[in-house]
Amino acid sequence: MREAMEQRETVVEVKDLVKKFGDRAVLNGVSLKIRKGETFVIMGGSGCGKSTLLRHMIGNLKPTSGSVFLLGQDITEKYGADLDEVRKKIGMSFQSSALFDSMTVAENVSLPLVEHTKIEPSIIDIMVKMKLELVGLRGFEDLLPSEISGGMKKRVGLARAIAMDPQIIFYDEPTAGLDPIVAAVIDKLIIDLSQKLNVTSVVVTHDMKSVMAIADRIAMLYEGKVLEVGTVDEIKNSPNEMVQQFINGNFDGPIKFFQQKDDYLETLTQ
Amino acid sequence: MQINVEQKGEVTVYNMSGDIDINTSPEVKKAFDGAMKDKHEKVVINLKDVGYVDSSGLATLVEILKNLRAYGGKLKLSNLSDKVKGLFEITKLDKLFDIVADEEEAVSSF
Repeated sequence: MREAMEQRETVVEVKDLVKKFGDRAVLNGVSLKIRKGETFVIMGGSGCGKSTLLRHMIGNLKPTSGSVFLLGQDITEKYGADLDEVRKKIGMSFQSSALFDSMTVAENVSLPLVEHTKIEPSIIDIMVKMKLELVGLRGFEDLLPSEISGGMKKRVGLARAIAMDPQIIFYDEPTAGLDPIVAAVIDKLIIDLSQKLNVTSVVVTHDMKSVMAIADRIAMLYEGKVLEVGTVDEIKNSPNEMVQQFINGNFDGPIKFFQQKDDYLETLTQ
Repeated sequence: MQINVEQKGEVTVYNMSGDIDINTSPEVKKAFDGAMKDKHEKVVINLKDVGYVDSSGLATLVEILKNLRAYGGKLKLSNLSDKVKGLFEITKLDKLFDIVADEEEAVSSF
């Protein structure tokens, strides 16, 4: 039996995070606590700030104000080698798979192991095969990224993200652009890593099917703020109309796609 | 990581204690290189006191199995905790290794 989620230690904590690009606040006071072993989904429409939030959580961006604690350490205060030391314990799966084009699939996956460990090449070869099997890509070791599809590249990126057995894995849109079966394989992998290895997953996505399959808790972001945090059931039954509009994918509702100002025609002729 | 080797008749038993991870798996590999040299044919790895095996540890065990099989040796793993068993299951290695409940069964089942 898994220990009660609320008693687990916090492994990621975001405190009053604000990020401004020019005058525009993309994140406007976000606070979140993510616990060990849980799969925490951050969802919200395009441009709501979810990818920006993720980039702060992995230390790729520094905030305008506020802080991010990763495994107890404030990474907003860390740079260079100090930041890398914390980041060795996390895995990152990017929206674009960020593979090295001149390296084979196996070389891409083994890169963190070759760079950060003293493991023998024969053992690394076995590890690479194990990681590729987990993402359903065994047998593709010797191909170059240009010789495989976009979805496969994404899975290679995921295999590389888990190469070092990270305690926390951050995923940016892991199932976007994948066919439904491959998407389900990735969802299953995220669930297995959490249940069997107690890995914490932080997933940014707007794939609702995936959200409902994998999430222990969901945070919905809107205009740079956390609208609501809850379990799948709590979010499904949320009285918040914005949450309901988003999870049901309704065109009509409080979240407007088009700008509400009536100055469109004026701006055309200015 | 501590490794104690016991000879029980024809069977060589390796009692491991500690985690088998990125820091300790080279040590584990080294400890078995001796057994490989002497071509021990019946080998048991007792994982009773092993709390965690990361993927470098799992890969090291696969390498040991591969090397043993190359000269016709046999390997059994015993006393896996539920957590360690889960690690073998997620990587499908539970189907590769001969996993038995305890050391006694491992020694007597060759």
